[in-house]
Amino acid sequence: MGNAALVTGAGSGIGRALCLRLLADGWTVCAVDRDLAGLPDHAGLLRCVGDVRVPSTSTDAAARLLATAGRIDALVTCAAIYHVRPFLDLDEELWDETFAVNTTAGLLAAQAVLPAMRAQGNGAIVLFSSTLARHGQVGGAHYAASKGAVLGLARSLALETAEQGIRVNTVSPGLTDTPQPRGNMTEAQLRARAHDNPLGRIGEVSDMVEAVLFLIDADEASYVTGQDLRVTGGERLF
Amino acid sequence: MAARDIALITGGASGIGAATAIRLARRMAVVIADRDLPAAERLAASIKQDGGNAFAIEMDVASGTSVRQAVARISQDIGPVRHLFSNAGINIRQPVEDITPPDWAAMMNTHVRGGFLVAQAVLARMLADRRGGIVFTSSDFAVVGMARGAAYAAAKTALYSLAKSLALECAPFGVRVNAIGPGPIDTPLLRNRPEAEWREATDRFARIVPMRRLGSADEVAACVDFLLSDRASFITGQLLHPNGGQVMW
Repeated sequence: MGNAALVTGAGSGIGRALCLRLLADGWTVCAVDRDLAGLPDHAGLLRCVGDVRVPSTSTDAAARLLATAGRIDALVTCAAIYHVRPFLDLDEELWDETFAVNTTAGLLAAQAVLPAMRAQGNGAIVLFSSTLARHGQVGGAHYAASKGAVLGLARSLALETAEQGIRVNTVSPGLTDTPQPRGNMTEAQLRARAHDNPLGRIGEVSDMVEAVLFLIDADEASYVTGQDLRVTGGERLF
Repeated sequence: MAARDIALITGGASGIGAATAIRLARRMAVVIADRDLPAAERLAASIKQDGGNAFAIEMDVASGTSVRQAVARISQDIGPVRHLFSNAGINIRQPVEDITPPDWAAMMNTHVRGGFLVAQAVLARMLADRRGGIVFTSSDFAVVGMARGAAYAAAKTALYSLAKSLALECAPFGVRVNAIGPGPIDTPLLRNRPEAEWREATDRFARIVPMRRLGSADEVAACVDFLLSDRASFITGQLLHPNGGQVMW
């Protein structure tokens, strides 16, 4: 039986591209998002329309994947929101919503797949963080904090599961060509950021997909856990 | 076969270097550079026997002349170096008060000056062709300290610093530069310790490494292979750790 993955934020951007690639590579994919209209029908695709903030969304998705594929090899959490808001204008509602989607949903999804991975004695989890977790951004305190929390969550999860053969890593993209930044930036601003990047462009979803594929590959990244793979084109090295 | 890219691997005859040569030989020609030429020749012969394209060359990265002559010979006899895995290293473990100036110099010369010299020797062609990639072998100890390993840690940190600056300088040419930071890996560097010390070390790693085991040289090679491939085309200036979770940052 082939490999099986649960992907959140699967309806658009990086998550969608990852699903398409995994399906093309023969994986069974359980896609989770509020809207999955962007994913074409495919024999290996399980659609789980739902809100990642609700615990039952992840537990239902994990149960469906397990029932269909008999195993869960990988969890990749791409679901995230980013509404730029000046610090003094931040309210509890936006703060809570940002953490619920960007941070807590990752915990819920991990909790949903861990029993199966523990029973198998293997599995790989990739949580999406962001370069902003370390660099911060004007109007992005809530987002940066939520993504920083993902790093701490992932490392502790890596320590707790290493002995069971489960690896947990994060990917931190730099600015990437998806719908998400377009909510906060103009096309001209995107082009300026590309110009200022050492490699002369912003990230493509395929760059992030390749990073995930490396990290979830049980042969290639078998001694890599607790790490943050920063796919940035060399922006703001530290 | 003639159109195949060429990878140069320093410290290529044993341990992580050898494992990487074997792995990269699946998709390119490999030049195994080492101070120990017979060992490099034995590995090249074994790779060729398995259907790969491999060459051996004597190189002492502590000598600028040796590096430049070797690279000139490679360019002339085999072709331009497309990928560099700069991996030659030594390990001396001693308390800070016992480090002699020659010990310190040997550590810095092999890891940092050696990495600089080899990169400089192959870089002009990569930049001119706007094609190529470099990976340096740094260490977990580039980001954390090491008792009885101050010189080693300083050298590995310096190497990572070199990699970052080189990454920025090369990025406009599309040439990517990264480093790997292996944790405890089962290599001759570790195994060549006295039996009791080796046993003590493996027991300790089984206790302190979250994955409860040493890594294999091939697990490091897989990371080098990834970083040198087009799959990592937006990754530069980074330190990738195959370390079983020993260091996270």
